[in-house]
Amino acid sequence: MTLDPTVITDYWPLFVQGAFLTLRLAAIAFVGGMLIGAVCAALSLLNIGPVRAVITVYLALMRGIPFIVIVFLVHFGLPAFGMRTPAIVTGTVALTLFAGAYYVEIIRGAVEALPKGQWESARAIGMSPVAAARHVIVPQIISPSIPPIVNCTMTMIKESSVLSAITVSELTYQGLIVQGNTFAPFEVFITVALIYWAITMLFHMLAQAYDRRFGASTGRSSRMSPIAARYLSIDGKSGT
Amino acid sequence: MTGFALRTTGLVRRFGDLRALDEVYLDIPYGQVVSLVGPSGCGKSTLLRCLTYLDPPDDGFIEVGGDWLGRERLSNGTIRRRSRRDIDRVRRKIGMVFQALNLWPHMSVLDNLSVAQRVALGRSEAEAESRARALLDRLRISEIADAFPGQISGGQQQRVAIARAMAMDPEILLFDEPTSALDPELVGEVLRLLKEFAQSGMTMLVVTHELAFARDVADRLLFMDRGRILADGPPQQVITQTRDRRVRDFFDKVTAFHPKFMQAAAETEDES
Repeated sequence: MTLDPTVITDYWPLFVQGAFLTLRLAAIAFVGGMLIGAVCAALSLLNIGPVRAVITVYLALMRGIPFIVIVFLVHFGLPAFGMRTPAIVTGTVALTLFAGAYYVEIIRGAVEALPKGQWESARAIGMSPVAAARHVIVPQIISPSIPPIVNCTMTMIKESSVLSAITVSELTYQGLIVQGNTFAPFEVFITVALIYWAITMLFHMLAQAYDRRFGASTGRSSRMSPIAARYLSIDGKSGT
Repeated sequence: MTGFALRTTGLVRRFGDLRALDEVYLDIPYGQVVSLVGPSGCGKSTLLRCLTYLDPPDDGFIEVGGDWLGRERLSNGTIRRRSRRDIDRVRRKIGMVFQALNLWPHMSVLDNLSVAQRVALGRSEAEAESRARALLDRLRISEIADAFPGQISGGQQQRVAIARAMAMDPEILLFDEPTSALDPELVGEVLRLLKEFAQSGMTMLVVTHELAFARDVADRLLFMDRGRILADGPPQQVITQTRDRRVRDFFDKVTAFHPKFMQAAAETEDES
């Protein structure tokens, strides 16, 4: 078979538009989702009965229902209650809530994995809860949370393609449009696939750079065994 | 000022039906070194957790340097719960050295000693650092100031934990079994260190199984069982002369392994 490059050369503006919208959706869902994740994780760790129950229900719904069904529920459900919002808005909200639910679990898990004594020693010495969280807890959860957050974010970027089902004109949707005009599905979706791959790789590389810059000194080197640390430190100080 | 570094009145902590602390009354004057012993599960650790307010007592009062921790009893007899801010403020007057040390692994030793001084006491960075360095000097570990807790030995970690608590200039230092996590050869070293503190006038409450420490360093020995303080007095006297059967049983068992105490234990048997 032969590939027809004119599909790309003629329609590239649509691919670019789609890719930019996908990037924007992912960026908003990432930032919004991390906010939800941090706030809900903190709230649920405070262990106030009703608050924790609400968060548990939220997590159960988001993690127990297929994303496309969540999108349909929000998109077709809101008008039933008299709320007419554009697809792009319901789509962004659904994606943010979806990603947020996974971030909550990651952050909460990372905090719970720390020995309880870390929090207790900070509180016993007289730090306020906020100071204890800021100086003792948060710096220690960043490094272990990065790999699962990267994982989850890459899934979320890919799941954003589901929003094409409610006419959000992101990358997959634009691909479907081009395909409708050209009847060249293979060329179109190879292009779409490469663009998704480029976006997720870009994110992966950014996360790795962040981990090298901020993760290393706060985590690994200080968690190595004393002997390993001593032998692996080149300047005799290590980690700083 | 009450003249006491620490005073508890009728301290009670319940876990379901169990009274882990059953009306504990305790006065520790400034400069006294008190050692607290008892069988496991007797309430020693619960007492330390209540005193640091990690596990608030169900009833009773705690005073640290004349300041109420948690609940206060006013001169007209009314009882008030204090604000969280007040609890955190009074907490700073108690230094706690945990059994597991709980050093913060992501910070250098120097930061372990200075971060709480800055954020909880509001000291300047320079002030906090000079206090930290002075303590490291005093504990003879100034060379590890820039190391991370994971890079130093167990004995050094123990000293860092002690220095971290002392950096807050507490009214009293609490130790939860300071020697239990150490190699035998380090035990003596830490005990010598505690002895030094004792001689410098530091007020201390030490939960320990080291009867040698209790006898040689402590001014006073408390024996606790089932949430109550059963014996309280000069160490030698408590170890050898207490008549209470539970106290007797405990010291007979413990001293059986320590030849130095055999004689003392035997003398008591002769008396009875």
